[in-house]
Amino acid sequence: MGWLVLAVLFLLILLPLTAVVIQVLLPGVFFGQWVIGDLSLLLDVFRRPLWRVSLQHSVTLGLGTTLLGTALGIALAMVRARWTFPTARLLDMTVWLLIITPSFILAQGWVMFASADGIAAQWFGWTGLHRLVFTPAGLIAIMTLSKFPLAYLTVYTALEWKVERLSEAARLSGGSPWTVWRTIQAPLLLPAFFSGAMLVFMDTVGDFGLPASIATVFRFPTLPYSIYTALYTSPIRFDMAGALSFYLVLLIALAMSVQLYAMRKSRFDFLSGRATRANARKPVKGASILVVCNVAFLAVVLGIPFGSNLLMSVTGNGGGITLKYYRALFAGDGNLASGLAHSLEIAAVAAVIGLVVGFLVAYVLTYSQFKLRKAIDVISLVSLAVPGIVLGIGYIFIWNQKWLQSIGLLLYGTPWILILASVAGAIPVITRVVVGAMAKVPQQLLSAAQVQGATFRQRVATVLAPLIKSALLSAALAAFGASVFDLAIASVLYPPNFMTLPVVINKAFENLKFSYAAAATLTGGGIVIAIIVALELLFKPKKRSRRASI
Amino acid sequence: MSQIQLNRKRMLAALLVAATALATSACGNNGEADGNASPTSSASDTSSEGAAPSASPSDSPAPSKSDEPLVVYLNDFDEIIKPMFEEATGYKLELVTGNGAEISSRLEAEKGNPHWDVVWMDAMPTINQMGKSGQLLEGWTPSDLGNLTDFAKSLVPANLSYFPTGAHAASVIVYNTKAFNADTAPKTWADLADAKFKGTVGMADPAVAAPAYPFVAWFFQSQGMDGGKAYFESLIKNGLRVYPKNPNVAKALTGGEIKAAALQESNAYALKNAGEPVDIVWPAEGAPASVRVAAIQKNTKHADAAKAFVEFLLDSKTQQSLIENGEESYFQPSAKDVAAKQDRSPDAKLVVAEADWAGEHEGEIKQWFADQAVK
Repeated sequence: MGWLVLAVLFLLILLPLTAVVIQVLLPGVFFGQWVIGDLSLLLDVFRRPLWRVSLQHSVTLGLGTTLLGTALGIALAMVRARWTFPTARLLDMTVWLLIITPSFILAQGWVMFASADGIAAQWFGWTGLHRLVFTPAGLIAIMTLSKFPLAYLTVYTALEWKVERLSEAARLSGGSPWTVWRTIQAPLLLPAFFSGAMLVFMDTVGDFGLPASIATVFRFPTLPYSIYTALYTSPIRFDMAGALSFYLVLLIALAMSVQLYAMRKSRFDFLSGRATRANARKPVKGASILVVCNVAFLAVVLGIPFGSNLLMSVTGNGGGITLKYYRALFAGDGNLASGLAHSLEIAAVAAVIGLVVGFLVAYVLTYSQFKLRKAIDVISLVSLAVPGIVLGIGYIFIWNQKWLQSIGLLLYGTPWILILASVAGAIPVITRVVVGAMAKVPQQLLSAAQVQGATFRQRVATVLAPLIKSALLSAALAAFGASVFDLAIASVLYPPNFMTLPVVINKAFENLKFSYAAAATLTGGGIVIAIIVALELLFKPKKRSRRASI
Repeated sequence: MSQIQLNRKRMLAALLVAATALATSACGNNGEADGNASPTSSASDTSSEGAAPSASPSDSPAPSKSDEPLVVYLNDFDEIIKPMFEEATGYKLELVTGNGAEISSRLEAEKGNPHWDVVWMDAMPTINQMGKSGQLLEGWTPSDLGNLTDFAKSLVPANLSYFPTGAHAASVIVYNTKAFNADTAPKTWADLADAKFKGTVGMADPAVAAPAYPFVAWFFQSQGMDGGKAYFESLIKNGLRVYPKNPNVAKALTGGEIKAAALQESNAYALKNAGEPVDIVWPAEGAPASVRVAAIQKNTKHADAAKAFVEFLLDSKTQQSLIENGEESYFQPSAKDVAAKQDRSPDAKLVVAEADWAGEHEGEIKQWFADQAVK
């Protein structure tokens, strides 16, 4: 199975990426020209001012956000898993919203809020805010507030099951709650912490939307930004994009080596027959404090970006409140409706395929002795950090070769190319969430089943899947939500007459229809959230009843 | 072993085979893509269900009105051109829309196996370069070429690889009427460097925004590379604010962050028509133009439809209709006897950087801007 997983990942992620990076070496290779490229391009990153600055910015932003975002995500997940309090569900919803919302929308909201003439200045008179926000530290803060959900989700799903005995024993031996957390709980959760941190790092380093939106008020070019410039400004330089992508991949490789080093030789499969489903309790006192903190936090991470967009979508030219932009969505030529339908279809298929692939990847990573596991590990994360446009261009190179037509596999120009690309984009999130959950299910449970004669399918269906069910659901839903809005992939790959939602929104923005774009975003996002919530509700009750019957 | 598992294994095995095949033969197989004029060499056209919009044998490009649609890549007018053309000619049309950058990027990435028949964009330097590298159909004369204005005729290249359908100002001067009036507002491009306007002027980044390049290219061509650099350095010293794209400039202008801007024509009129407090100045020395051109892919399998489409675009009636009904309706038509939008200034004077020159220097000039930006 290891080889098959590797082959799938290779096909979906590594091959297209290689196709772009190889442009440095052989610029004309996909156009039938054999020319050796200019390898000094690789060194230009230290010579050209823009590239050097981009690299520095990416590293700073990545490190800062990873530290803060992971810490924030862990803290919130711990609190949420330990206590129930009113409005706690809102926190979960917020996390989902932040994950599926494209970062350029979030960033746009922050810009509207904090810019010199923004909402903060006009409504609250906080005129100094933009000087605080539009600095490297301010960007790290915004990034942290946008990216922490990845860490939160990974840690929270890992807290689904716990073995109370260990903590209880420690408490009986006189350990304070903090000591117990520091010496027992936290170390056992290390895989989840690291998974979360890696996700935050990758997503930050690969994020294009935020630096691009912020660039309207504050120049902060990053690697993806410079890659975008190489790919999206004529003369188009695939070789330069390849060189810069190479450095992005290098950054990821470095981050992963740190993770491997930190987790060497440890075992984390602590779930046993004694494991119980974690149950959040009502806090003895201070519930109201939790509520106040939670609401205040949500007002910042959700209220600011979405509130600003909402305000934009209902503000007419004269400043009055109007719903005409929402009406306009459903009048007209129906581009939005068909775009939304296309996007939902693509995302749904991609989420299902992605879940199957991601599950197998996670299975191989967790349980097999496959010797190229580390390679699988790296490849499965790469597509998060490599900007969608790079993968998109790579997909054109790979899937638009003439000879494919004779075997019916010329996928470029069909919706399948969007699905494949979305699966590639979804794999990192799915895999990380599932791996975090699988890490706690010990191999012995599966081996025991195997000894009893259970096939692979039975083992998965009766042992593994039930134990990590909520993680599987989370993973699929996150992948679904994120695919709906994936602009970068959609804009270079969508087939003729097959508009998708992000393409429609982007076009509205470029035609100065800011309010229409905001209305379309909120409507599309609302529908996606509704679908996600509906699916969660559909699956949640079953889980409850099963636990009751155990 | 269960059926499902078998199926999955089979599927994965198939993928594995495909992966190896792709990996080993990723190159080479499309050697004829560039220099070879004969479209027959690429014909393995038996699989018609294979999704590619190009499956009919085409030694003789004469399948008068086949069912296969003509595929056009374009960046504007996607909202109206399809029904207009289909009704007028009976050909079917499929569109790929994107901004200029996205379309250019796709064109370039598809070079080995183009999916498009016609490209129609306001990116003359880019399309000029495509013509020079032999990607476009050359030497064909549209029937109504004689109907072009003298200005438009001067833009048609010697090899007849593309044809202008209109031109608009890549930038005009726009100012916020709350900050300036007609007397105090900047009137010439040189004014923007005046200390009076220090820190109040914005423009789109030529290294990012596609329409900003024709604007700066004109300065670099008419004043020489050094002259162009000197002009924009003087603007930067004067506190020029550079935004990634024209919509960002427009927003900064209405939001009060800047008070005057070099802004693309259609954006400028869109602001004015939306009731924003802005006014437009057409500099007497001319506004650098972005020229929209149409070109046919060299190996197109739908040459008849493609030619019909280009002739349709050059037709006076079509251009009049684009002006009356299109979203990007502020432009100077390339055909005679077409009336521009009524509120488009009668003083609108366009100047154009020569396409050859602009195309050749594009990388150099954009890199200069990109590196300026981080200093």
